[in-house]
Amino acid sequence: MSRWFAVLIATLALALPRAAHAALSIVTTTSDLAAIAKEVGGADVQVTSLALHTQDPHFVDAKPHLALKLAKADLLIAIGLELELGWLPTLQTGSRNGKIQPGAAGYLDCSTLVRVLEVPTEKVDRSQGDVHPNGNPHYMLDPRQAARVSKGIADRLTQLDPAHADSYRKNALAFIKRLGKATKGWEAALAKAKGAKVIAYHKTIVYFADWLGLEVVEYVEPRPGIPPNPHHVTHVIDVAKSRGVKAILHEVYYPAKNSELIAKQTGATLVKIPGGPDLKGGKTYVQHLDAVVKQLVKIYGN
Amino acid sequence: MPHTTRLSLAVLLSAGLASAQATPPSDVRSHGPAPDPVDSAPEPDPEPEPQPQPPAPTASAPAPSAAAAAEPDDVFAELEHQLTTPDSKPAREPAARGAQSMNPDLALIADFAAAWFSDDQHRQTGGHDPSRTGFNLQGLELNVRSVVDPYFRFDANLVFAEEGVEIEEVYATTLDLPCRLQARFGQFSTRFGRINATHPHAWDFADQPFALGRVFGGEGNRGLGVELSWLAPLPWYVELVGSATQANGEGTARSFFGDSDRGVERPWDLLGVGALKQFFDLHRDWSLLFGLSAALGPNATGEDHRTAVYGTDLYLKYRPLVGAHPTVFTWQTEVLHRRRQVAGEVLWDTSGYSQVAVRFARRWGAAARYEAGSPAYALGGSVAEDPLDPAWNRFRHRATAALTHYPSELSRFRLQGSRDMGGAGDPIWAAFLTAEVVVGAHGAHTF
Repeated sequence: MSRWFAVLIATLALALPRAAHAALSIVTTTSDLAAIAKEVGGADVQVTSLALHTQDPHFVDAKPHLALKLAKADLLIAIGLELELGWLPTLQTGSRNGKIQPGAAGYLDCSTLVRVLEVPTEKVDRSQGDVHPNGNPHYMLDPRQAARVSKGIADRLTQLDPAHADSYRKNALAFIKRLGKATKGWEAALAKAKGAKVIAYHKTIVYFADWLGLEVVEYVEPRPGIPPNPHHVTHVIDVAKSRGVKAILHEVYYPAKNSELIAKQTGATLVKIPGGPDLKGGKTYVQHLDAVVKQLVKIYGN
Repeated sequence: MPHTTRLSLAVLLSAGLASAQATPPSDVRSHGPAPDPVDSAPEPDPEPEPQPQPPAPTASAPAPSAAAAAEPDDVFAELEHQLTTPDSKPAREPAARGAQSMNPDLALIADFAAAWFSDDQHRQTGGHDPSRTGFNLQGLELNVRSVVDPYFRFDANLVFAEEGVEIEEVYATTLDLPCRLQARFGQFSTRFGRINATHPHAWDFADQPFALGRVFGGEGNRGLGVELSWLAPLPWYVELVGSATQANGEGTARSFFGDSDRGVERPWDLLGVGALKQFFDLHRDWSLLFGLSAALGPNATGEDHRTAVYGTDLYLKYRPLVGAHPTVFTWQTEVLHRRRQVAGEVLWDTSGYSQVAVRFARRWGAAARYEAGSPAYALGGSVAEDPLDPAWNRFRHRATAALTHYPSELSRFRLQGSRDMGGAGDPIWAAFLTAEVVVGAHGAHTF
């Protein structure tokens, strides 16, 4: 018995230093937040995203090993606005980590940093589908909001790790400059797209449309979170034809069948939007947005 | 349940709902100044000290393009300025949030069933199973959740059934204990096995496996007490859980003190539950949960008589994370082995279930389950009379199939058929058509 106890203690002694080593550990809910946290944190942080860029951020399984990642985290960065409501609270509680609970300095809800759109001004209920009662959470497709998020992350990192404050500030500045420059380029390339009428699958696209001045005339989903039915798809095809829609914006984590059908029937082009940068493939936030913009440039560009 | 309790709970419920409506809580908030759509996002006049974006309440109508188009330069320049000015203030919150509410999150889950049994003497063991031919209210669950303070969160599940109201669970959970420890106190479902700690809303079938009802009772194992759990600092997920709860309860601890409350004279008059849970992230799309559990406590058949229940559970899940497939496949198995000291003898029996469930389309799922339960044996190997289920003198099997339709994540219909064989009588056919609706701030699911 006592021998087993000694083995257990030895195992734990080996395992503990792993958790404690060096850099600040950041966990983000989505890969776009992770990409930005990496830019801002640089060499002084270690970043993990709970959801893959191919996953619908509304419906992530609260797998226990994700709680393990949170148990070691110094900072949890979330989108907020109830996007992660169905899974993040379970993981936060399960992590037993007081540092990253709501209200603690190690929890950053990025929706407090951005300009929130679609905040309901009257009573909403779920007859409208999966509405987000505090506003639309899909702001990371707007580079202006992403810039605000990067500044907010730098501020929070400074608070948690004052020793590296200079580096965080410089990194954020460099990122914002780079993003600002890229944004100018994207806007110039898509100047002609302003006012263009598009169809989107889900309300994910609202900030993106707001940024580029696109007009979303219809959604493939009859209501947010409600899968399309043939009747509605027919309606969308009619709308697309009558309003001269040239682009169907589709998030890759939604089934593509109906969007493809609409594109085919109307001659519009399907624009595929990933849920964020492919972190494993080493992609950055700017590259991620660039890939989306390039698809639109093919349609609306000079 | 005394009538007064029922009444006061009803008052509480209606008050809670009324206040939820009056001060639109997390669900609907009024936002800052009176909404002044579209035009309300003009550029702030460039001032020496850059201002944050004013709160820009925006109608849910299409985007206010004219005002937004000029924004970018400003945002980037402003942020750059803030970062290069040494004593610039930290990021401010551009979006002023409306009045917050301290009300807890409330959700109601209603389960109804139309049922048919080939024999009135059916052998359903779950407390919320459909229980008669005709219409049944399986339960109306009021789920109340809130953070208490930086150290605790609060969870309660009150179940309103045809017979009255019961406090199914009410407990506080610590959020910030050192050394990866977590404690719960109050009344809670113990974490024995997999299905015991879950609620009907999370089940793939309309009824509870009979093993659970047989060993712990219709409500599954729960009680008043304390629990401590520990997340081991290992590279994979290992959680150790231990709890001590009252050993009485006809529907919650029937193999222990059951309906006779004998009080606690010594520490081992409590029901102790221990569990080891391990999770393996096998592959991006595949995960496996494996658990070992034990419940040890006194039983009511005599002085110093003990019961031990040992369980193992396995949960395999496939859910592709790439390619937008709606497919989800799960395989879940639990086996419970029970040993009881009764007058002059030790009885043992084993029961369990194995089930597969497939979500084959976004709105459709199917599931199949097989259950088996041995009769009680004496140590010598001969079938013995079970003091709790005297008629259960043969092997019992039940086969169940279910088809579920989900109009949305918040409503579902389920058609289920089963055949129950052996055990304590003739085979019984059962068919259920159940409906479930969920309203309110529905909480997060566990894996």
